Amino acid sequence: MDDERPIRRFLSAALGTNYQVFEASNGEEAIAAIPAFRPDLIILDIGLPDISGVEVTRHLREWISTPIIIISVREQESEKIDALDAGADDYLTKPFGAGELMARIRVALRHTIQPELMSFIKFEHLEIDLVNRLVNFDHQAIQLTPTEYDLLKLFVQHAGKVLTHRQLLATVWGPGYEDDRHILQVNISNLRHKIEIDPTRPTIIVTEPGVGYRLRIP
Amino acid sequence: MNKNRQKSRSKHAAFAQNDLLGGKNPSRTFISNLSKLPYQPLSTIKRYLLAVLLTLIGTGLGYLIELKISPTNLVMIYILVVMITAVYLGKGPSILVSILGVLLLDFLFIPPYYTFAVEDTEYLITFAGLLLVGLVISALATTARQQAEEAKARETDTLMLYSLSQDLSTAVDGQSVAKIVFRHLPAAYGTKFTLYVPENGILKLYTSVGSEQDIPLSERNLANWCYKFAKPAGLGINILPSLEPRFLPLLSAGKNFGVLSLTPIDPTQPLPANMDRMLKAFIYQISIALERVQLLEQNRQIELLQVTEKLQNALLNSISHELRTPLVTITGTLTTLENQGDELDSAIANSLISTAREEADHLNQLVSNLLDMSRVEAGTLKVKHDPTDILDMVGFALNSMGSRLGTHKITVNVPDGIIVSMDYVLIVHVLTNLLDNAIKYSPEGSQIKISAVQMGSVVHIEVIDQGQGIPNEDLEKVFEKFYRVQLFRHLSGTGLGLAICKGIVEAHAGKIWAENHPDGGTTFIFELPLK
Repeated sequence: MDDERPIRRFLSAALGTNYQVFEASNGEEAIAAIPAFRPDLIILDIGLPDISGVEVTRHLREWISTPIIIISVREQESEKIDALDAGADDYLTKPFGAGELMARIRVALRHTIQPELMSFIKFEHLEIDLVNRLVNFDHQAIQLTPTEYDLLKLFVQHAGKVLTHRQLLATVWGPGYEDDRHILQVNISNLRHKIEIDPTRPTIIVTEPGVGYRLRIP
Repeated sequence: MNKNRQKSRSKHAAFAQNDLLGGKNPSRTFISNLSKLPYQPLSTIKRYLLAVLLTLIGTGLGYLIELKISPTNLVMIYILVVMITAVYLGKGPSILVSILGVLLLDFLFIPPYYTFAVEDTEYLITFAGLLLVGLVISALATTARQQAEEAKARETDTLMLYSLSQDLSTAVDGQSVAKIVFRHLPAAYGTKFTLYVPENGILKLYTSVGSEQDIPLSERNLANWCYKFAKPAGLGINILPSLEPRFLPLLSAGKNFGVLSLTPIDPTQPLPANMDRMLKAFIYQISIALERVQLLEQNRQIELLQVTEKLQNALLNSISHELRTPLVTITGTLTTLENQGDELDSAIANSLISTAREEADHLNQLVSNLLDMSRVEAGTLKVKHDPTDILDMVGFALNSMGSRLGTHKITVNVPDGIIVSMDYVLIVHVLTNLLDNAIKYSPEGSQIKISAVQMGSVVHIEVIDQGQGIPNEDLEKVFEKFYRVQLFRHLSGTGLGLAICKGIVEAHAGKIWAENHPDGGTTFIFELPLK
């Protein structure tokens, strides 16, 4: 759903070959159409004319778990984070390319199609095996602290999805730590030194500026 | 309070009276401050006594030479005394001397001696002559002295007006006009002066005594009235005569430029004619000065407007050019694909598309810059302070630039674990802007170094290039909005990037500056507080 016609047209054209698309130009219309259309994924512009995208997300999360991808402009930084914390799955910043959009959709759908969490992932130089609690760098096992391991595990389970600072802190450190960004920074930095080839140009755990981090899918 | 005022007023009155005793000439009150005439310090009684003394001296002198000359010629001595008295002691004493002279001449020197009887009636003619000459001389001398006195007073007035107008010509605003006026207005005109000058539609007031806040509302209101209707009001004037000060409009060429209020020393008496004339001249000078100040201010406003307009035009020109260039490429690509998409070689089509895509990115960057600039300008730039790892931020900036880095060799020298409380997105913006500049203004394949150093409670982040540097006189100006270094005019740009960087860094309570290296290349440094 988006209130700009040209954007809806572009989205329909880009998605139409692979997916069946329902368009809505405002929040009310979209919410009303969801029970009948029963979408597998929702693309939501955060700047809707009637209800804010954050409100729509909160409302939808009360009764469905359909993946939601937020579309925002750079100036809507805080709304975007609020929407992600309210349960949206991912976001795209305008302007974005069709390729990027497809990738985000695939990640979001995979997590719903395979509800059992990912347990194994392999990069060129790195293997992470959650079943056996093994992390290999160039086939050599590396040692992680329990916190670093928990953090990495969370990333692998949500591979390709953005995780906000608050989500990471609340899950790994527990309630009460949601705002302790410093501790998160330090652990991410340490983790990158152990798993990245060049920690100054990370390619596995990438930063989502102002939002959080994302584990890149190999 | 009331009593006090009464008292001070009677004191002023006494002072005025005292002065009047000094002479009948009304300008004396005023001149008393400025010039010293010969008889000035003497009281009337003293002047008459002195006249008598001079007559007696003359008589003594006559007595000594009496035997050698005829009595008729002794008249000369008395004429001399009359003349001296007239010039130096005034009219009254000289008349006294004339009469005394006649009597003494008759009594002492004309036979029969020591009586007022006269033997030879011819002497009566001598007496009449002496008396007449004495009276005429005293009248003439007094007139001459008065004229000299008036000329002197006029000269002093002219000098005062001249120095006032000279000082006023240096005034640039209402306040400086007020200062000069209060310094020049003689105390004889009043005890307290207040100047009301219109500024931005309201009367701003400056007072010579005490604080501006102490001026009561009633006075302010009357000043407003006086300004509005350009008529004098207040003390001694038939409009609201009971209100203490006198309000005089400052008129020039039929327009009102303000109001001068003053509290006269003796409110019961109108000003003497010559003082009144002088006050009018003063007021005229003040009006002209205020008119000039107002014109000056108008000119300033116009100049400012012109500069702003010029700036806006420059902005529009530069922006529309910058916006149109990528649009030309994008439109060209799209129409080419639309018209001959099928016939085009796929390699050519792909290269067209990727160029258009790059230009679209460029367009997006431009629009973001414009938005950022407007937010910096409007002061609505919101800084979200989050603890941020500098190394993480640098890595992200480099990754996000991707192919824009081109063939430049980037080296990163950032230690681990420098955590700064800052807005991640905005600082990334600063760094990418600096990197874009470094790439644009240094040769392909050259090295660009990014380093960060923690220095106490701040961190310095540097971008060092090997370009040709910035002319020294432009090192500060490059951070100004729309400023472009003349040398690099041929390269496209809006002159906004560094101004935005400065705005963002300053919103973080930081600093940004540029330095040239002796061996070529420029370093851009920004400093951020850790917390």
